[in-house]
Amino acid sequence: MSNTLRPYLNAVRATLTAALTLENFSSQMVERHNKPEIEVGNSPEVLLKPLIVSRNESEKVLIEPSVNSIRLSIKIKQADEIEKILCHKFTRFMMMRAEGFVILRRKPLPGYDISFLITNFHSESMLKHKLVDFIIQFMEDVDKEISEMKLSLNARARIVAESYLSTVSCPI
Amino acid sequence: MILLESHSVIINDVLTDRFEKASRADIQFVDYDNVRFHLSTPETKSKILLSMGIQCWPDLLKYGAREYLQNEYQQYLLPQEQTEPEYDVSLMIDLEQLPESVEDRNSLISKLSHLKSVAMSSPFLSAFQEQSNLQAGYKDAGGAQQKDFTSEQSAETKGELKIIRYREEEAIYIQASNDRVTVVFSTVFKEETDKVFGRVFLQEFVDARKLNALQNAPQVRYSNREPPLEIRHLPGLHNGEDWGYVTFVLFPRHFSNPTQAQSTINRIQLFRDYLHYHIKCSKAYMHSRMRYRVAEFLKILNRAKPEVATAEKKTASGRTFRTR
Repeated sequence: MSNTLRPYLNAVRATLTAALTLENFSSQMVERHNKPEIEVGNSPEVLLKPLIVSRNESEKVLIEPSVNSIRLSIKIKQADEIEKILCHKFTRFMMMRAEGFVILRRKPLPGYDISFLITNFHSESMLKHKLVDFIIQFMEDVDKEISEMKLSLNARARIVAESYLSTVSCPI
Repeated sequence: MILLESHSVIINDVLTDRFEKASRADIQFVDYDNVRFHLSTPETKSKILLSMGIQCWPDLLKYGAREYLQNEYQQYLLPQEQTEPEYDVSLMIDLEQLPESVEDRNSLISKLSHLKSVAMSSPFLSAFQEQSNLQAGYKDAGGAQQKDFTSEQSAETKGELKIIRYREEEAIYIQASNDRVTVVFSTVFKEETDKVFGRVFLQEFVDARKLNALQNAPQVRYSNREPPLEIRHLPGLHNGEDWGYVTFVLFPRHFSNPTQAQSTINRIQLFRDYLHYHIKCSKAYMHSRMRYRVAEFLKILNRAKPEVATAEKKTASGRTFRTR
């Protein structure tokens, strides 16, 4: 693991753990509504200061806490066109399965690749430190997965080209 | 399976079966590049009619496909007037007049299952012929004026540019010149992903030639956006992000003898299908990888859910509940 990834993940872990202090909070506007305040956003007094943890300009995490919910958006490294396509495919694939991942948001925030929304109900029904572990594990694995997919694409292309050209080549 | 086969498996299988024992058939099937086949027994069980519809037939006719097919299939090829309607070529195989020996039968089956590639090879063969003519002419001219390199020799002699529109939008361009035959494929990538993957694959085709083992392979060049100089003067070419142009440079050693020439043609004409097939394959592979990875993530997330202790419930007298 490179020496900048560790402090980056540690910072995200610490921030997320600190922000995951959620409690049940019914809507102040509408009776009998209980909505994630960070998504509704019409009572500014329950929203906390958003925070960006950034490793470099292409990799950053935005954490937006509020009284009963927290929204975490990740921007994944995309060095070139292939990585951009692979990243887009992968995040889209995950978000289409958002009902399985209860904390996954169906759409990312503009400027980010994938967003999670953790409400107080999630933090009550699941173990808080394990939730944080999941987010950190996800951030580690997604980079690895994308670079592995890219390598396998290149390797496949190489094999394909070689086996084709070896059939059309001829001995002198 | 990395390489695609140049013959039609369906024709091969059906004919092998029918040669053993005649029976009725009415099968319609397709091959790459919108080629349609119809295999039927219109009159009797013993007479098999095999028809092929191919999109670029008018182009192929121009380059002598009919004569070439006649030469290859001889008595089996039906004349133009008797060709099945809606199809371009028809062959009639009479099961009562088959060759006697097993080898001859097998070679006939293999010849018939190569129908598509035989039809497509006429422009290639005529380009190869043209090249050898040009080469001969070039040598004569060079011999006559050995010293004068300036005017005659620098001007390359080029043959006619042959165009085969083998799909709606895509075409093969073949041009012979005195020392080589240039084959240009135009291909369209319909999706963003295909475009990016296609570029990776084509770049590897260019790079793979640097290997020592593949030094004798035809030279490959590719360009996207702009068509290569050989065909740039043609009207109606597309410049754009979605378009790729692949150029193969075939040298006389690639078609020095008929078997070599035929195997080169069989490979080259499947290039486009091969490229797109592998693009689709790698997309499918990515998909299965993502499926696996997402399942792994889901497992990690589910670890966060505390396990509900399922202790056995008992009544006061010691009986257990059973859930139905």
